[in-house]
Amino acid sequence: MKFAKHPIWIGVGLVALGIGSMVAMAQQGAFGGGYGPPLKVVPPPRTFVTSDEHYAYLLKRAHDGTKHTLDSVPQWDGFWVTAGNTHMAAFIDTGNLGGKVIDGVLTPAYEAAFKERWRQQTEQGQVDYDRLGECQPPGMPRFLLEPYSHEFINLPNESYLINDFGPSIRRVLIGKQHSNLYGTHSWYGDTIGFWNGAQLVMSTKYLYPADFTRWSPMTSNQFESIETWELKRYPGGIERLEVQATFYDKHAFVKPVNVVYAFRHATDLQKADYRVTHWECEQTNNTYLDDKGKSNFHLPGEAGFNDGRGLTHFPELPGQSRDPIYNTTLTPGAK
Amino acid sequence: MKTTYKAVLIALVTTLAAMTVHAHHSFAMFDRTTEVVKTGTVQRWAFNNPHSWLYVNVTNEDGTQTLWSFESASPTQLIGRGITGKSFEPDATVTVMFCPLRDGRAGGGIGWVMLADGKYFSTADGGCNGSDENIARWKDWMKLGYRSNKDAQAAGAK
Repeated sequence: MKFAKHPIWIGVGLVALGIGSMVAMAQQGAFGGGYGPPLKVVPPPRTFVTSDEHYAYLLKRAHDGTKHTLDSVPQWDGFWVTAGNTHMAAFIDTGNLGGKVIDGVLTPAYEAAFKERWRQQTEQGQVDYDRLGECQPPGMPRFLLEPYSHEFINLPNESYLINDFGPSIRRVLIGKQHSNLYGTHSWYGDTIGFWNGAQLVMSTKYLYPADFTRWSPMTSNQFESIETWELKRYPGGIERLEVQATFYDKHAFVKPVNVVYAFRHATDLQKADYRVTHWECEQTNNTYLDDKGKSNFHLPGEAGFNDGRGLTHFPELPGQSRDPIYNTTLTPGAK
Repeated sequence: MKTTYKAVLIALVTTLAAMTVHAHHSFAMFDRTTEVVKTGTVQRWAFNNPHSWLYVNVTNEDGTQTLWSFESASPTQLIGRGITGKSFEPDATVTVMFCPLRDGRAGGGIGWVMLADGKYFSTADGGCNGSDENIARWKDWMKLGYRSNKDAQAAGAK
């Protein structure tokens, strides 16, 4: 028996690889975890039935909040990337991909839906479908764990939380009341907030049904969040922007869910002199859902293929190529 | 022997489950247990969101050419690895390791790309393994003439 050839040794090797990767997931490695000390959830001071009640309590406790000026408002300049989170631990017993769905956290309908996603993930290594494949925005709560670059701009009366993915922009109106002039919900809803010293406390409502990720639970149109954002500093020069969040969803959750997310400075992007460009999904995306319910691609030369670097609808005019530097064309079966 | 193969199957599933990487779509279309190497010339390096694509003309045994489409990670991820929109110029000769589309069409998820000067780039997203360890393994396999991980493994190559 040659070790390298025998299936059992191939199996042992793969198990070792799998365990190694899962350890990384347990440390939230897939989303940049392992940067700084372990993340710890800080639950709210008491239980609240609604996010409105929760927000009103925090606002009252902060004596209606700190009134910052341009000079005093906390600055979170530069590019940021995700630095881990604990959201999987809220729904999976081990907190990572090796575990099982925790019973009783989600309502029966949402638990059944999540268990099907989790079955696909664990049995196939992939969930068949991701709504982002249709270029849907990440929305909330997915905004909090999406990779790519984030920017956080604080002004005395408004904060802008930006992810280049989408692009996604959350506007936090300081000292305002919730408003919904559209009479409907949206991907990022309406966010109000106040400052409590260096902490930004936020309330978000009026959201579309969405999800945490494709391998995580779905959320309903009644999902609401209370978040507290704060820049934390740790020994060794570590700066981590931490987000303590409580999620309310009467359709999806049996009781409110508490999670912490984190971001760190994107030093590699800044070193590369990175620039954010517009997210081009509708123009470049070639993902589609096939008749078996699985994601697939349109390739060049096939019906439905989007040539993201091709010509506009006005090819007769000069300068209408979206590939002006290289001027390439895709020619399947060139010779 | 039946138990042995069951162990292999469980190990494979466990490994794949642990390999989940984030992207804007599922990677269900790729066979991530299969890794294949092809060499050709770049027709286009589309360094676009949400995913970059490398289009490569590969000459077949009968002299015809096939345009292969390889999906890669997003520019934001790649810039952090030192890869830009100018890394793979048109007409450059490249060797690509990829996990093929399950339906057999000419495409796949990229693991890594090697330029003619021997420089490697990990352009992988979650569709295929572009880790340093896998690049090192493939360097050895290619020296032995292998172009597929299954051929290499079947022959007992490490």
